[in-house]
Amino acid sequence: MSSPGIAEPTEAIARARAGDTQAWGEIYHDYAPAIFRFCRRALPTREDAEDATMEVFMKLKGKLNQYDPSRPFSGWLYKVAANHCWDTLRRRKIRQDKETEDSDEVPLQHPDPSQLDRLIEQRSSVEVRKALGTLGKRARMALVMRYYSDMSYDEIADALGVRRAFVGVVLLRARHELRQVLEGNAALAAGGTP
Amino acid sequence: MTDPLSVPAERLDQHLDEMTCLLYVEGQLDRSRAQEVSAHTQDCARCRTLLHALDRESRLLTRAMLEEDEPFPSRLAAFQQRARNSMQWIWGLVLGLAASGSYALYSYYVEPMQARFEQAGFGGTNILNLMIFQGAFWKGWESMLTLLEVLAMLTIAGSVAMFLRRRIRRGSAFAMIVAGICAAATLSSPAMATDFRTKGDNVEINKDETINGDAFMTGHHAKVEGTVDGDLYVFCQEADIEGHITGDVIAFAQIVRISGQVDGNVRSFTNTSLISGTVNKNILSFSETINVDRSAKIGGSVTAFVNSLTLDGKLGRDVLAFVNAASISGSIGGGIDAQGNSLRFNSGAVVGGPVKYKGNNAPDVSSGAKLAVPVEFTKIEHHTNNDSGFFIWRIIWTAAVLLFGMVLFLLMPAFARDSALAAEHYGASFGLGVLVLFGVPVAALIACVTVVGLLVGLSTFTLWITCLYCAQIVVGAIVGQWLMGRTSETWQLIGRMAVGVILLRVLGMIPHLGGWVKFAIVLWGMGAIALALYRRFSPANRVLTAPASPMTPPLPPNTTIGNPQPAM
Repeated sequence: MSSPGIAEPTEAIARARAGDTQAWGEIYHDYAPAIFRFCRRALPTREDAEDATMEVFMKLKGKLNQYDPSRPFSGWLYKVAANHCWDTLRRRKIRQDKETEDSDEVPLQHPDPSQLDRLIEQRSSVEVRKALGTLGKRARMALVMRYYSDMSYDEIADALGVRRAFVGVVLLRARHELRQVLEGNAALAAGGTP
Repeated sequence: MTDPLSVPAERLDQHLDEMTCLLYVEGQLDRSRAQEVSAHTQDCARCRTLLHALDRESRLLTRAMLEEDEPFPSRLAAFQQRARNSMQWIWGLVLGLAASGSYALYSYYVEPMQARFEQAGFGGTNILNLMIFQGAFWKGWESMLTLLEVLAMLTIAGSVAMFLRRRIRRGSAFAMIVAGICAAATLSSPAMATDFRTKGDNVEINKDETINGDAFMTGHHAKVEGTVDGDLYVFCQEADIEGHITGDVIAFAQIVRISGQVDGNVRSFTNTSLISGTVNKNILSFSETINVDRSAKIGGSVTAFVNSLTLDGKLGRDVLAFVNAASISGSIGGGIDAQGNSLRFNSGAVVGGPVKYKGNNAPDVSSGAKLAVPVEFTKIEHHTNNDSGFFIWRIIWTAAVLLFGMVLFLLMPAFARDSALAAEHYGASFGLGVLVLFGVPVAALIACVTVVGLLVGLSTFTLWITCLYCAQIVVGAIVGQWLMGRTSETWQLIGRMAVGVILLRVLGMIPHLGGWVKFAIVLWGMGAIALALYRRFSPANRVLTAPASPMTPPLPPNTTIGNPQPAM
């Protein structure tokens, strides 16, 4: 989960740990846009994402002593952001309807590979982002953690509070939910005959 | 629910399930299983297509999420700048308040008080006497308390508003809460256990009146003729307790006269306490003068920190007194343990227990006094400090400060660094220092006598005393860094602190100038500690101070998807 193109801010982190506010400014400057986008994808509204971004950076100062400099800073930062966003979502009682769809008991049917391939080819990024916004909170959070910030299955399991072995199931269900929205009808998401 | 990692291996004539394909694409299968999948997809076009679709789906998701579809919010871009601006505004306000407060304090309170004190014939040397026994119960404090209460309420209201603003985004919800608070405030409050008598100069509880619960009285003159079935709290210039108090009496007053009956204890912080009634339990008093009249009956003991103590009444148990002059004519059931300047037993005095007295002068025992055992007298020896002794004690105290500082730096290294950094903001530190040095004890005093609670007040005062002592350590650290260069390493910082503290203590010994140096150190250090605490507990202002600048490109996470793909 390193960040190509941006060197690890080792020196800025050391200075920030010593209380140098200028160093905090540098870290914020470099990382706030990415964290905002992460929060924007994970949370329902833009305002939520703005608040979450500020809160994540506020939390960061208290947690900075816990950061292990031998590991990528951006990865650690995304973990803090993921935990914060997931806590925020869990505290809210929104999208109760979608919560019921998060049920783990609904069996998943095998998709028709060709149909799935066509669907992926036909859909644009904009449509995917719109569809993402309609998903249940866990599905959405899982997809963002995995495909935006490239978090490992262990990290996703930690953040969502599920067993590591269950992360694949959560991701697969999330993809099915997404396909259902993208398709506009349940046919593909429910799958054709394998 | 199926455990994805326990999916059995398919035979080659069967298709792979979607979970297996996803785990393969995600690189989550173990090596042998991945090889099986890879081998299968060499021959199975359907599964190969599924793998391909899943991989494309992953890439589509990543691309969709990474694309910058909206600009970085100006609110976030301005976050740093706003934080800095808000800090400037706050410090402007703090300094303004401190300056105005100091001027007002001097013009309206210190100067008149000083004049009044000089008229009363007291020299300026006994300022402690002035502050504790005269000034604290001066009537002018009432208006000052009102001002401070208003400021405190505004501060609390502002904090609540900030707290709610961060959590309630919808204006309608916020409006509902505000409306609710207003509605609650306009409704008549239900009967409360505590009765407050705070209106007017003269506050009374009449003869035929009974307060069921605690009573709280403030004013110029408080008078209790009726019954309080609970504790009585009095904060005024003059208090007359002629009625019946079933609980304790806690009095802060210039003069307290107790001629009624108190079933509990009396705790008084007064100039003069006159007791001619009955107190069934104990008396604890910090006063200039205590006079226990011949008609008074005290069931328990007397603990007194006073200038003058006269005990003519009947006391059931012991006396513990730190007193300048004590005169005893009454009956004491227990013993006496006293320290002071003089102790006199008049004719008629009866003491049932042992008498220990440590003082400057030998006790004067009248022939008519009846003591169970002779007085055990110890004369206080006054040691004159010669120069070497003085310097030895200075060195010992400096060592104690250094040790204390070292422990603090090791226990709280981050906070120590924060405080040292905060001390570099000279204006803010000095401004806040003025506010904390004078404002906190007053706030603590108010807390002690209001519903906020004694515990809060005492805790605040303890913290204030601690900060007072720590101020030299913080300033020592910054002075040490001036001399030896900056550092963020704890032990190096301790070394610099030691050098700085030693230097400051040497400067503090300079005649005339030393006092001002110490005062400046206290202001500066306390302000720095307060600033560091403020930054620590005020997240909106502690994060970022670098100026806002154009946005950087997005931080692209390094998404890695799947194992090497099978040949398509």
